[in-house]
Amino acid sequence: MTGIPLTVIGGYLGAGKTTLINQILRDPQGKRYLVMVNDFGAINVDASLLVSADEDTIQLSNGCVCCTMGADLFLAIGDVLDGDTRPDHIVIEASGIADPAKIANVAVAEPDLVYQGIITVVDGANILDQLVDRFVGDQVRDQIRVADLIYVSKTELSEQLLMQVATISKAPILKSDTATIEMLLSPSTPKAQDQTAAPHAAYTKWFAEADVEFNRNTLIYALQDRPKGVLRMKGFVRAETRMLSVHVVGAHIDLTTFPNDVETGLVAIGLASEMNAQDLDAWWANVKKNAKAPYSML
Amino acid sequence: MSDIILFKAKKVITMDPNRPTATHVAVKGDRILAVGGADCADQWGDVINDFSLSEFILTPGFVEGHAHMMAGAIWDFAYAGYHDRIDPDGKLWSGKGDLNNVIGDLSEYEKTLLDDQPLVGWGLDPIFLQDERLSRKHLDQISETRPIAVLFSNFHLMCVNSKTLEVVGYSNETNAEGVIKDDAGHPTGELQEMAAMFPVMRRLGIDFRSLSQTEPAIRSYAKVCQRAGVTTVTDLFSTLTDDDVTTLTRITGEAQFPVRIVPALAAVGAAPAEIAQFALKLQSMSTDKLRLGAVKLMTDGSIQGWTARVKWPGYVGGQPNGLWNTPPELIYELVEEMQRVGVQMHIHVNGDEASDVSIDAIEAAGRKHPWPEARHVLQHCQMMGVDQFKRCANMGICTNIFANHIWYFGDQHAALTIGNDRAERMDAVRAALDAGVNVAIHSDAPVTPMGPLFTAWCAVTRQTMSGRVLGAEQCISVEEALHAITLGAAYTLKLDHDIGSIETGKIADFTILAQDPTEGDGCALKDIEVKGTVSSGVVHLI
Repeated sequence: MTGIPLTVIGGYLGAGKTTLINQILRDPQGKRYLVMVNDFGAINVDASLLVSADEDTIQLSNGCVCCTMGADLFLAIGDVLDGDTRPDHIVIEASGIADPAKIANVAVAEPDLVYQGIITVVDGANILDQLVDRFVGDQVRDQIRVADLIYVSKTELSEQLLMQVATISKAPILKSDTATIEMLLSPSTPKAQDQTAAPHAAYTKWFAEADVEFNRNTLIYALQDRPKGVLRMKGFVRAETRMLSVHVVGAHIDLTTFPNDVETGLVAIGLASEMNAQDLDAWWANVKKNAKAPYSML
Repeated sequence: MSDIILFKAKKVITMDPNRPTATHVAVKGDRILAVGGADCADQWGDVINDFSLSEFILTPGFVEGHAHMMAGAIWDFAYAGYHDRIDPDGKLWSGKGDLNNVIGDLSEYEKTLLDDQPLVGWGLDPIFLQDERLSRKHLDQISETRPIAVLFSNFHLMCVNSKTLEVVGYSNETNAEGVIKDDAGHPTGELQEMAAMFPVMRRLGIDFRSLSQTEPAIRSYAKVCQRAGVTTVTDLFSTLTDDDVTTLTRITGEAQFPVRIVPALAAVGAAPAEIAQFALKLQSMSTDKLRLGAVKLMTDGSIQGWTARVKWPGYVGGQPNGLWNTPPELIYELVEEMQRVGVQMHIHVNGDEASDVSIDAIEAAGRKHPWPEARHVLQHCQMMGVDQFKRCANMGICTNIFANHIWYFGDQHAALTIGNDRAERMDAVRAALDAGVNVAIHSDAPVTPMGPLFTAWCAVTRQTMSGRVLGAEQCISVEEALHAITLGAAYTLKLDHDIGSIETGKIADFTILAQDPTEGDGCALKDIEVKGTVSSGVVHLI
């Protein structure tokens, strides 16, 4: 059994996290999401979707479940993992002041979970003030710094806002109308052989052979240094006589020994406006050339 | 036969200024009928004399205004801390002065476990251990086949052995933050913060929930209280489900249950209005020995973890300012809603910026929704200055000050966190009393051991572990300290009409002591032997 993907939605009070979550619950596109929220009161789903609701759980006819996390988020995650029904994907709404990385890190640590990124929602109308707030400025900045994807709510993307956010984080910045929820949460990377177009016009896909043997640390370094715009990268490579599964989400890079011999190759997905296949091809050719160079030589 | 029991004591210290001391106290049912000499209850008819306490000193039952229920059940795990401590059953666990002690004592403990039981320890504090840092290599000396996890005293870190790493699947390929690695890239066994500890806790069955609200946890907590002479105790930051309340109501309803519990609902996980309504509902479910209805707000972190929000000039090591657990904006919202509907708040404030924001929030709420009897309580108050105490006095805000910190962490605060001059005016009980604030002092058990007499000793002597007096100007008198652990704390819980002093009409809650705490200069306070308690008229000797 593979782990359950986990995505954390962070962002300061009033940034628009709940609006996003309401969208997920309304239109899950066939996935059974389990969404953990701080405040039940703001959850707003069509009554016709409701199957049941009690003090801390709402069950929807589309297969999604929304629950409160109570005082201890981690215990709530444990309950989900040890429970009878297995969701397709767990989404956690971080509290307005929380560091989303501290929550998302559980998906890196826990073998039954798979890290599926941090989306930090930024209140386009107020973020510039929030960043210089003498009480919370540093913590708001950190929420942006750790994001794998930044989702700007409420306003058009102004130059000033883009520049400010870009000084904090290299993560791709999305406007609220760019993305479907499915793509936001898990931009799917179909099988390597599947050369069809990306499932949404705003996204683009890239595929590459990985027909050489790599040094693991060198590959980690290379993946960190990849061209911009990649939201997610997945595949298999051969390294020092074993198989490694590659799992890249934003700044998170995971290379784990894989027990079976499978076909090697990499697939990436990113925003059509930001990810450029030629840049990736050039980068990858160079990576393969130095594939076995010891990390210290680079 | 009479239903009046007349206790004779060597001395009764009443905390009632009308009759500071007495020799007898008459009890009818769970209440005090009369206080005075041998004839004090004669007007009420025949009495039954009880001489079983005649060699002892009676004081009002101690009130611990800031502790956590897990202080009892945490003893299900093996103690691995630096200081000597006594478990709920009275067993002494000697402090471990170095890593060899830790390994030796845990090895002995390991022999007592069943084959399939993991070894879980708690209380380790590397700040006190001078030698190398605890790692899996040390714990592997205890066992290579049994999973071992030792929780640090702050509960934010743990160290595990190689077997546990294997069970969880942590290896040199793991890149989770908080899984600490050595120079060769192998996990050292140290795990930092919940995300990294969670997979271990889940697989080793370490469940913090079972340390609170379960029947064994409640009974264990009561034993801790009884040994410390505490007859009323808080559980601050309680998560209270309907089932929890049912269990608590049943157990505290037993005549023989020796302590009154005052849980404060954790004000998280719902909108302010919803939390407030739930608190009001709880309020209506209170019984004599279960007083519900208050809430607890978190604001900042801790000073020794450099997560408290402090005002300029900040931390002496140049660390960045700490972290809000609740942003000021939300503190304002919560405070206003609680004030509006009439829910008393206990507000965690360690750093002086957190106390500033909280006092501001209460002032703002008070202008909109006046409630002079609110008695909101600032908890810890470690860096509050005279200016803040005066504002508290003006607004009727109480302070419950973390006096135990002076001894346990005072040296560290002077050297490492906020520096010498501000450390000397930390936990400023003198300043608070002089400003006219109602003051309690506390242990925050299990963070430091519950023991109001020890806490009183800290506030009186302000001695640190190195023996230094940290800010002599802030020392208080023995009488003031005794007031703080009885009436002062009772006032912060809005229970001073029922408990806190030995007066006719109040509940018969006493602490039974072997020595007189008012004799001497207070240096012996911490060594006074607690013989037991009387709770609602029922004697519980240890």
